Amino acid sequence: MSRVHTTPWSALRLAVVAAGISLLAACAGPQSYVALLPSPDGSLGKVVVQGQRGEQLLTRAQQGALLDGSKPPFDVSNEQLQRDFGAAMRARPIMPEQFLLYFETGGLELTADSKALLQRIVERALARTSVDMSVIGHSDTQGAADANEALALQRATAIAEQLRGLGLGNTVMAIESHGERNLLVPTPDDTPEPRNRRVEITLR
Amino acid sequence: MRHHQQNILRVLAVGMLVAMGAAQSASAQSATAATPQTPSTAVGYVKTVTGEAWVTTAGQRAKAVPGTAIQIGSQLKTLADASLGITFKDNTVMAFGPDTELTVDQYLYAPAQGQLQLGASLLKGSLNYVSGVIAKLKPEAVTVKTPTGIIGVRGTQFVAKVEDVQ
Repeated sequence: MSRVHTTPWSALRLAVVAAGISLLAACAGPQSYVALLPSPDGSLGKVVVQGQRGEQLLTRAQQGALLDGSKPPFDVSNEQLQRDFGAAMRARPIMPEQFLLYFETGGLELTADSKALLQRIVERALARTSVDMSVIGHSDTQGAADANEALALQRATAIAEQLRGLGLGNTVMAIESHGERNLLVPTPDDTPEPRNRRVEITLR
Repeated sequence: MRHHQQNILRVLAVGMLVAMGAAQSASAQSATAATPQTPSTAVGYVKTVTGEAWVTTAGQRAKAVPGTAIQIGSQLKTLADASLGITFKDNTVMAFGPDTELTVDQYLYAPAQGQLQLGASLLKGSLNYVSGVIAKLKPEAVTVKTPTGIIGVRGTQFVAKVEDVQ
């Protein structure tokens, strides 16, 4: 059996260590927390924290909350953000970019404007260090849903082929059809609408 | 390079099917049924890496490089002085600082069917998150779990830090 003797010397050492720890904690700022920032497009949303010790709502930019929800929200300085998240923010990939291509009625023929856009899409894709893309075909509501599903897939496939031919032969492409289920402009059934006859390209 | 990646994907895909629960497997398949031309289980890809970072899916550990596929269940890990950035199919972006671990728990992106879900667990380290389409269409479908609390998102960017408890 051993006993711990608290000599003045060890008490002093303990005090120094304790002071050091609290100083460190003060420098490190909040330990586990979340902070709200505006999106790259400038819009600001909200963040909700449901913690073990409470719930907090963040609605202002650079407002933070402990992840256990135990304290009211607090402001987080730029310096703090840089210290805690500089590396993560620098690693953030370029935000995805979207293009819309439109078609003449019923077939696979692009409108003249959209044809001209193809080369630009290729250039933008090649400017990214690592790109994957989705090519999603859509139709308007004119005709049967099944036929539109197939037509939209044909459109997406045709565009993907053209992009491959223009220099994106090695790019990962997810080709899909949303048929008439995902209208850009809401219309009743059996309505021709040029803006719904489209292929959506997203570069990531 | 390309063949190498495809082989990794194939291995990961087979592993995933074995490892995933029946329900998850069924939903993942229905979500990606329309995309037979692509590795159907990839829900995102690595875009940026500095230093040493790893992606582990169904027990298969791969060093992260731009183009590495992220799947449901993938565990992402950065070592000291490393960072990693990924972009999901719905344009959600996540980036990680050093000494970070995050798991992709749920991912479902089939907007035409209204199937949307993004669940991740941040075990330690730092995360920079930017909302994608899932958060825009169905905000309550996005959650990031941490050891002490759950972060919910209403279409925005946030940063989160989890101190290592060990």
